[in-house]
Amino acid sequence: MGSEGKSELTNSRPILQVRSVTKDFGGVRAVDRCSLDVLPGTITGLIGPNGAGKTTLFNLVAGTLAPTSGHIIFEGQAIGGLRPHQTFARGLMRTFQIPRELRRMTVLENLMLVPARQTGERLWSTWLTPWQVARQESRIQAQALEVLDLVNLAHLANELAGNLSGGQKKLLELARTLMAEPRLVLLDEPGAGINRTLLRDLSANIVRASVERNVTFLIIEHDMRFVMNMCDPVIVMANGSVISEGTPSAIQRDPRVLEAYLGGRVSGTA
Amino acid sequence: MDISGVFDYLIGFAIMAMIYAIFTLGLNVHWGFTGLFNIGIAGFFALGAYTAALLTSPPPDPTQFEDFIFGGNLAQLGLFDLGIDLWFFVGVAAAAVVCGIVALVIGTITLRLSDDYLSIATLGIAESVRFFFLNEKWAANGSKGLYRIPKFMGDLVAPESYDYFYVVVVLIVLAILFVAVQRAARSPWGRVLRAIREDEVTTAASGKNVFHFKLQSFVFGAMIMGIGGALFAHHVRFLSPLTFDPLLATFVIWAMLMVGGSGNNLGAILGAFVVWGIWAGTQFLPGIFSDPSFRLLMIGVLIVAIMLLRPGGLLGEWRRIVERRPASATGREPAGPD
Repeated sequence: MGSEGKSELTNSRPILQVRSVTKDFGGVRAVDRCSLDVLPGTITGLIGPNGAGKTTLFNLVAGTLAPTSGHIIFEGQAIGGLRPHQTFARGLMRTFQIPRELRRMTVLENLMLVPARQTGERLWSTWLTPWQVARQESRIQAQALEVLDLVNLAHLANELAGNLSGGQKKLLELARTLMAEPRLVLLDEPGAGINRTLLRDLSANIVRASVERNVTFLIIEHDMRFVMNMCDPVIVMANGSVISEGTPSAIQRDPRVLEAYLGGRVSGTA
Repeated sequence: MDISGVFDYLIGFAIMAMIYAIFTLGLNVHWGFTGLFNIGIAGFFALGAYTAALLTSPPPDPTQFEDFIFGGNLAQLGLFDLGIDLWFFVGVAAAAVVCGIVALVIGTITLRLSDDYLSIATLGIAESVRFFFLNEKWAANGSKGLYRIPKFMGDLVAPESYDYFYVVVVLIVLAILFVAVQRAARSPWGRVLRAIREDEVTTAASGKNVFHFKLQSFVFGAMIMGIGGALFAHHVRFLSPLTFDPLLATFVIWAMLMVGGSGNNLGAILGAFVVWGIWAGTQFLPGIFSDPSFRLLMIGVLIVAIMLLRPGGLLGEWRRIVERRPASATGREPAGPD
């Protein structure tokens, strides 16, 4: 799907540059001098065995965590150590591996929260200019309903998000990213716990956002069929740093990747 | 008690219940909408009450028995003897502003930390305020209290029917605050607060500055509590630090919100009437049943019953339902069994 030679765009400037980033939790080094580039317009896959540091890297890029050392550069600007709402304001958005829906709010409200610069988020404008707020609200609501149509959740618009199934919550996570105009979206295992049919819908939505809205994706995923079909290039992490990078087919042949996944001495036993 | 006596009693009851409803609305902003665990309502209650009382009390009059006896040495004037004597509504506004400023300071310090710190800080501020007014006798006459708090328009309304006038004043203030909180809660502003209550990480990942919104909510709720304190001061017209014990100035208000329905402004008001009705009504029971300990037990039983039978309170949280145009509402497959 996304393999029309996107990895040949190597001379365009990376939208995201991670430079020698390290994150320590006490004595545990979760991310270890990790460096990688994400090129604009790509759907880049990020794979690696459990504990490789992929989600931690997401947390560092999105601002949920601050790096111990190293630089994170987004569209030419250093964003390492910025808080999540600040990275969001620069056009970066992330989803969560375990869905973090707003349980006691409706599905529609979960989405209507997202758009930036809402006048109604200022306390006084809810009292002084309610008509302006109402006009903006109806616009945001229409947008949210459209997005819900896209991800096939429209019939659940008024349901409390906490009552959704696991797969539906995954779709809601993706839907949140469609409510904003991010330039880079970090998807943390969008396919986990979703059946095949839903996964196809999900892939279609990602490709559509990538092509029509020029959104760049960085996707953590364990479903190899999904990664090999969708992502190009693919970056492989193990033990906190990048061990390989390339087209899906090159990655599949790389002995270092096999070694990392199988944990043995694949290359040494020959 | 004849029928007009009963009616007088009910009016007095309504005044107290509505003042408590104002505190409950403030707590609803904190806890019901934002999930801020404020266990020091008594602090804002007392600050509001003392601020309004100090700013509106007239100067002492040595010909008055109380001023002569309780005022002590009139040569040593305290803050409470200045007799600032401002208009009732100036006192009410000042109460809100003072509570807002104190909330701003506490919130700026503690709201970046995890929730526990806010709770500890609010508990601390409640006790600090109480001990300040108890020990700093120059400020508000210590344990002897403030007793010169004027009635609002007391000259114009006959004393025997004053409560019938004041109940209208309280009702108007409560109505204004209800509309203001309701508008705010159902706006995008309220939506962000509820999102913070549900999950701060998601809210931050949706681009909201969680700290700023929490601070706004904390200050707004505290200002409402300050207004409640001011109305209380002009109703009972005597304040001492003992008035603001945690039982009747914090715990009861939490009970009201839990019973009425956390996250629902009408529920907050309903809860105030129900709990205050039980608290005030049980004093007429015979014998041991009118003991404060038994009356408190009744409130405890009510809370347990509500938690078991209607965990969301009498009125649950309001949910916004959006009607769709029928064309796009149908024909969709369910999004998959998982």
